[in-house]
Amino acid sequence: MSSDAVKKRKPKVIRSEGGTPEAKRGRGESDQEVRVYNEEVELEGRDPQQDYMLYKDTCAALAKLMAEIQELKAGGAKDGNVEIEERRRQSSVHFITLKKLNRLAHMRLKKGRDQTHEAKQRVDVLHLQLQNLLYEVMHLQKEIGKCLEFKSQHEEIELVSEEEFFQEAPAEISRPHVTRNDQHQLTLARLDWELEQRKRLAEQYKTSLASKEKIQRAIEQKREYLSSLQPGLQNIMQASLPVQEYLSMPFEHMQKQAEVARHLPPPLYVLLVQVGAYGQACDKNLSVSISGDVDEAKALSRPPDDSQDDESDSDAEEEQQNTKRRRATVGAQLDDKRKGMLRRHPLSLCVDLKCKDGSVLHLFFYYLMNLNILTVKTKVSTSADLSGAVSAGELLNTESLLNCLYASDHGKETPNPSNRYQFDKVGITTFADYVSDLGHPYVWVQKLGGLQFSSDGSQSGLRGSALSASHMERTIKLLRGRLQARLSLHKQFSSLEHSIIPVSSECQHLFPAKVISGLTRWTMMSHQEFTELGFVQHVLKAGLVHETDLFFMAVVERGTARLMAAVVLNPRYPDVSPLFSLSLLWKGERSGRSDDNLRAIESEVNVFRSELQGPRPGLQLLTNQIQRLCVCLDVYLETESQVCDGSEGPKEFPREKMCLRTARGPSRLKPFKYNHPQGFFSHR
Amino acid sequence: MGPVELLHMSVFSQSFSPCGRFLAAGNNYGEIAVFSLSAALSPDASEGSQKPILNFTAHDGPVFSLLSTDTHLLSAGNGEISAWSWAELIKKSTKAAWTRKPNYETSLEIPEINAMIISPKDNSLIVGGGDNNIHIMDMETGVFKSVLKGHTDYIHCLCFKEREGEILSGGEDGAVRIWDSRTNRPVHCIEVFKYEECARPQFGKWISCLATDSDWMLCGGGPSLSLWHLRSMSPTSVFPLPGCQREAVFYQDLIMSVGEGPYVSHCLHGGTVKAQIPCSPSSLNTLALNLKNTEHRVMTVGGSSHQIDVFTNFSYRAFSLSF
Repeated sequence: MSSDAVKKRKPKVIRSEGGTPEAKRGRGESDQEVRVYNEEVELEGRDPQQDYMLYKDTCAALAKLMAEIQELKAGGAKDGNVEIEERRRQSSVHFITLKKLNRLAHMRLKKGRDQTHEAKQRVDVLHLQLQNLLYEVMHLQKEIGKCLEFKSQHEEIELVSEEEFFQEAPAEISRPHVTRNDQHQLTLARLDWELEQRKRLAEQYKTSLASKEKIQRAIEQKREYLSSLQPGLQNIMQASLPVQEYLSMPFEHMQKQAEVARHLPPPLYVLLVQVGAYGQACDKNLSVSISGDVDEAKALSRPPDDSQDDESDSDAEEEQQNTKRRRATVGAQLDDKRKGMLRRHPLSLCVDLKCKDGSVLHLFFYYLMNLNILTVKTKVSTSADLSGAVSAGELLNTESLLNCLYASDHGKETPNPSNRYQFDKVGITTFADYVSDLGHPYVWVQKLGGLQFSSDGSQSGLRGSALSASHMERTIKLLRGRLQARLSLHKQFSSLEHSIIPVSSECQHLFPAKVISGLTRWTMMSHQEFTELGFVQHVLKAGLVHETDLFFMAVVERGTARLMAAVVLNPRYPDVSPLFSLSLLWKGERSGRSDDNLRAIESEVNVFRSELQGPRPGLQLLTNQIQRLCVCLDVYLETESQVCDGSEGPKEFPREKMCLRTARGPSRLKPFKYNHPQGFFSHR
Repeated sequence: MGPVELLHMSVFSQSFSPCGRFLAAGNNYGEIAVFSLSAALSPDASEGSQKPILNFTAHDGPVFSLLSTDTHLLSAGNGEISAWSWAELIKKSTKAAWTRKPNYETSLEIPEINAMIISPKDNSLIVGGGDNNIHIMDMETGVFKSVLKGHTDYIHCLCFKEREGEILSGGEDGAVRIWDSRTNRPVHCIEVFKYEECARPQFGKWISCLATDSDWMLCGGGPSLSLWHLRSMSPTSVFPLPGCQREAVFYQDLIMSVGEGPYVSHCLHGGTVKAQIPCSPSSLNTLALNLKNTEHRVMTVGGSSHQIDVFTNFSYRAFSLSF
């Protein structure tokens, strides 16, 4: 720059690149004549394209000069050569031009940059403003949003509807002239009204709470008073018991029973009511009572959440137990399931039937809950000690005492057909195995409890109490008849075992005065033994023998003749008469199949029950039958005129019975019918 | 009739209707049952067709004898004879056409009537029974015109020889008496038990069955069943049947007899027992052959049972009718 300064020193040039002309001029004015040279102003006046052309020209000229110098130098010109100096001067000028151009270029560049910078600055400012505004806008929008979303608590309060409000609120609160137009005021008014109402109700609440307390206290007092009365009443009741008994009005007993009866399952309840009613109305010797565990019964009817707790507890227990006892087999579980299925209700009924001779038939009725059937167990208590009759063992056997009370009611199978499916689930094949434990499920027991199953023959359509009542009288009569029949048989058997045929005075007219054949043996047989006998096959074939029957063997003897009689006694004796089958051992063996006369004796004993049953209720049928058997044997033996071995010796059995004819009809039957009072035998 | 009564029932008599399509049977309770043979023998017969179409009580006592005329069924009860019209019976009406009693001498016990036959020559009914006498009744008038006395014990069976017009009677006294029906006088008396070949003293001497076929006579009972030649009055064959025979008939060249023992015996004239066909009752009282009707040609037997066996082919039991 110093060279430049030297070259252009003449005028004092103050270059100012950026300062204001005024300022420079100011400073410049302190000098004399200062030519202000403002290159910038000059810059604006020059065209960049021209400058560029100038540059190119200058470079070319320079290059040309250089080339000339080169040539000159090459041509051996000296350093101080004028041409070279000329050219050097020119090239220096050109250099200066170039420098100026360079400077101009730089200045242009700077100017450009400045302008850009300025523009940028302006843009930045605007941008910043824009940003600020946008931010402001956003902020405001958010605020607006927040304001709009603002839920005042007052909206959560359920206010009464507008119509109601206008109707109910007093005018000073509702101010309809204002609020009808102005929502805000309306809401305010409604809130006011709400507050008002709430205050009032709070007052009311406090007052009613206070009154409730008072009443509660009063109740407590009264309760204490009542509970103090209870022991007094109990004492009175206790004291009145003997009075009740004396007057035979067992109110308390009946009350207690009614109390317990509430927990009975429906069939047992029906049974209780019906038996009680029947006993009161028709049969003074019938009584019924409830026995069993009342608490357990109450437990059964407890509400389900209790039982669920129990279940969950027991489940937990069971799990524990299961983990401890892993060996519990499937069989044991099945066993438990079976037990559960066959569970009895804890309460049971006990019905007592008293007979005239003092013996009592006790019937215990149980209800099997899951199977919905009733069962019965029996017990007999007699006034006198029953003498031991060996053959009578089965008569009062509680298992079979009530067998076939109605025909074919064996009580071995459950009468409820749906039990079949329940049994399949737990693997019970025959219910008969459990009958001795649980009691017999006779059909009449179900009917007395009002239970009717579709498998029953009759579709009478009665249910419940009506069904029970319709069967009550007949069943009680049958039960009593059964007991009496068995007891009388018991007595008769003990006499028969001593070879005495007890014939009562009312029946003496059926038989002649003198009967020589006598009973020598009376024993009981099993069903198996009976079916093995040869001379009873016709009875078996006719289907008149069942496993529930009782079988006996009677032996009647006279002299060398021995008559064996196999007796089939149906449990429904004396409604069904016993059936005799005969076999005679005398000079050979004959039976009712081979000998028409023996068949006639069988017929005489089996068919004519109306003659033989004696006075009502016909309990002497069996003994009369046996006596008639003896009489017929007498006639048979005495009228046997043939002597088998051809000898003419005296007959073993002299004729003592009076007979008009000893043979009649194609089969030459003997006279077995006894005629009273003439005392002779004739044919039927 | 309960099952016990059925168990003790005995069938004593049978008779086929004139058309041969119905069978009447009498039992010891005094009942007569009418069975429809055409129903029982038809291809679609069921259990119900083996039951009677009509069953009624005809008499107080057992019906020991049944006889069919062309129009009526005659039944013998306790000392009385009743007649029933077959046409009425088929229509199930049980009103007797008439009931008559022979004149009995004894009054203490009513004698039974064991046998009845009809003499076609003079249309008279000949009955024999418990009063040891044979009574002859005229069918048209109903008057008992004569009494044949001679037996000393009650009469089991009667038989009629058409050609000679002779009545044969067998009785409990062991005698077979031959009577002339025109003169009503006894002609012969055979005491079968006196003949050694036939006699069976271990059983007795009564004669319970009689049958004739021209010159031949069958008789049996206590003594063995034997075939007699009437001209010579001697037994030609004796049949070795174990029980006492109650009814015997001639059929073609066979002799069929029933009695004690659950079988029907087929015998040949020579004296051999050809076959013994088993049947259901344990002993038999009556045998009947339905020869009037070729369609229903059956043999029926009844005895100590409530069932009557029917033989369509005489060699085996086909089925049983039951009361």
